Formats: sequence, C-alpha cells, structure tokens
Amino acid sequence: MEGVLLAAGELGYRETSVRSILERSGGHRAQFYKDFAGKEDCFAQAYATWIERLCVGVLEAAATTPGWEGGVRAAITRLFEFVVARPAIARALLVEVQIAGEPALARHEAAVERLAAAIDSARADIDPAEAPPEATGVFVVGGIESCAAEALTAGDAARVWDALPELMHLAAGSYFGKEAAEGSFERASIFLEREREHWAAKAAARETEAGE
Amino acid sequence: MTELRLISGAALAEPEPAEAAPPPRLLPGRHGMPADLVRAHQRQRLLEAAAAALAEQGYGRLTAARVTELAHVSSRTFYQHFEDLWACVLAAYEEQAARLCDAIETAYTTERGRGLNRIADQSSTAGAGIAAAIEFLAAEPDVARLLSAEPPPQIAALAAARRELIERLGAMLRKALADRDGATPLPGLERRLIGAALAIVSTRAASGDPQRLRDLEPELTELLLASL
Repeated sequence: MEGVLLAAGELGYRETSVRSILERSGGHRAQFYKDFAGKEDCFAQAYATWIERLCVGVLEAAATTPGWEGGVRAAITRLFEFVVARPAIARALLVEVQIAGEPALARHEAAVERLAAAIDSARADIDPAEAPPEATGVFVVGGIESCAAEALTAGDAARVWDALPELMHLAAGSYFGKEAAEGSFERASIFLEREREHWAAKAAARETEAGE
Repeated sequence: MTELRLISGAALAEPEPAEAAPPPRLLPGRHGMPADLVRAHQRQRLLEAAAAALAEQGYGRLTAARVTELAHVSSRTFYQHFEDLWACVLAAYEEQAARLCDAIETAYTTERGRGLNRIADQSSTAGAGIAAAIEFLAAEPDVARLLSAEPPPQIAALAAARRELIERLGAMLRKALADRDGATPLPGLERRLIGAALAIVSTRAASGDPQRLRDLEPELTELLLASL
C-alpha cells in the first residue's frame, strides 16, 4: 500500500493512476481491483495505516519527554524527522490528503483532533478562568502542519527545521501568552543550534569513514 | 443587482459580497449588449462558477466541464477566456484574495477612524480586521473554501498565489499591531499564525455551515493576538 502514497507524493494525487501505483508497489491490475474499489479507496486504506503510525510515533516522542514544552518540541522534532526522511510519503499524508477524497480526509481530521487533544494537556497548568479558546489545540496543530506542508510543497523538506522556534512560540503563546512564547522561542533556538551541530558532526564522521 | 453589474464596469471589478450566486446567463440571440460587456459578464460567471465547482468537487475531482456547466457557457467560450482549468481557478483565487484584503483594509480604516477621539488601540484594529475577514468568508462559503483549501502543489502558480495571500495577511496583521506597547514581531511568526488560522478556516468552511465559521471569530481573534 506504500505504492499509492509514494505515487501521490511524487506525482500528485490527481496525476496518480493505478498503473503508477503498481509501478511502485508491484502486483497486477486484476489483484488491485480485487483488493480496492479504486484509487481513492487504496489511498484511504494506505492513509489509515501510515497516519496511525506517524501519530503513534509523534505522541510517543511527546510522552517520553518531560514537561509540556519539552513534549511539544519532541513531537514536532519527530514529525520533522519523518518529513525529511520520507518526503514523498509525508507529502501524501500532509498535503495530497486535502484533495484525496472524504474517507482519507476524515482520517486526517481524526489525527489532527488526537494530536490537538495531546497538546491541550497544557490546560492542566492553566487557571480555568484564564483558559485559552477551545480551538487552541487544533490551531496549534494546524500551524505545525501548514508549516510542514509549505516546505514539502516547495520541494525542500529540510527547510522545515527553520520554523521550529517560531512554532514553539506559536504553541506556547497560544496557551500561556507572550512572555512564555518568547522563552519557548529562545529555548527552541538553542535546541535547534545544538541539533544542527550534532548533525554536522555526524555528517563529518560519515565523510571521514567514507574517505578511509 | 445583476443588471447593474452588466452596465457598470466598477461593479464588475468589485462585486458586492451579497452577490454570491453566479449571475444568470444572458438571453441568447440579439440583446444589444456591447461585446466587451458580454465577455466581462461571461468571465465573471466563470470565476464564480470555478469557486462553486471547487466547493462541490474539491481539487481532486475538479474539471473544466463542471465549471462551464455551472457558468452556463460553452466549452468554446471557456477556452476563449482561459488557457485551461487552472488559469480559471487562479484568476478566481486572485480576485477573491484581493476582495478579502480590501475588506480587512476597510475594517482597519473604519476602526482607526473611530479611535480618533480615544487612545489608539492596535489590538482593536487587528480585531476589526479579523472580524471582517471571518464575516467575508462566512457570507460566501464557496469563496471561503477557495481561499482556505490547500491547492495541489503541482499547480505552481496557484500554490504561489496562496503563499502570497498568507504573506499579505501576515503583513496586514503586523501593520495593525505596529507600535503596540511591547510588541516585538518575529520575522515569520505572522505567517505561521495565518497558516494555522487558514487550517481551521478550511475545516470549518468544508463543513458547509457558515455559522461554524462565524462562531470562530472570537477564538481566532484571541489566538492570533495571544502571542504577538
């Protein structure tokens, strides 16, 4: 089923044909139509599997990192790692889904609601009298997703990392206000700088290994 | 109102928000209308039909055939106006994006005018712009879907038009909040906020219930201003 997501991510959902799916997944046309009602059904089934996998990974990263801010940053980091490692699949999951029909779109909305509910755990630390709007979780997830979609649409998945501090600002600001947002922005900037140094060191080590 | 639009160039360029439904087809045969007005009327019908067809079919299934059907023009007429389907959708998008920005600018101007006799309040100016944007989109659900839905990335001009709208809305938000006490705008933050707002608007607009969009206004205002 990965074939349909690869095809949609590489060619666009509108341009994806059963032939292009089979070119990537193998198999025969007759078998395809035994398993699926058509392209939309195939995409929806593949989507359900992969979005669940991505959701579980992101929520796991958040749950295993201490604190709300650390959890949100870890969740965004896990999502961005996926976006950079599997840009075609990510493009299918986050961008092409918007035009792939109701069944996949419903799965997408369910995933957004699930992630929003996790981010909404911030309310535990907020006085109910000062609670942010009900839509805050969905707003924050929408901001993170639209940022990933922008990088994927531009064909430069790696640039998604540039937005990490701004997204932490958006997330913290939406729940805790401007002062908290600025602190989250600063800490995310430092985190990103360290991560980039780490990636550069790993790349240098790989180059040295290859040269020996 | 439809007749007024037929004889007024200005009305054709900036249709009233209340005129959401595609204008009726001109009667066939000799009606004495100047050819350029007939063409302008056809083009307007096609632009409005593009938004209606998109709301009905989504980007995944949208066809030029459906646009011509809703506009009550022939396929030949369609291709006299536009090179292809995407040129038509792009023209519709750009026209409606400009109308949305005009609605926000008008709200800013009105709110600033009201503030002449009191201490200027940038948040209320920004709030008036957000309220105007939501009302504009709620009044025309097809336009709300056109402007908020993520277009296919392969249609580069359309994706660029959407990016441009996000940039412009972000710049307008920044402008409204300029000089607010303690405001330290971060480059790029407004764009992220507008992206988040469009994601919610897109979901609400897809529900087809304009009230769900209107209900969003106070929440969206609070969220857009919370961290700026």
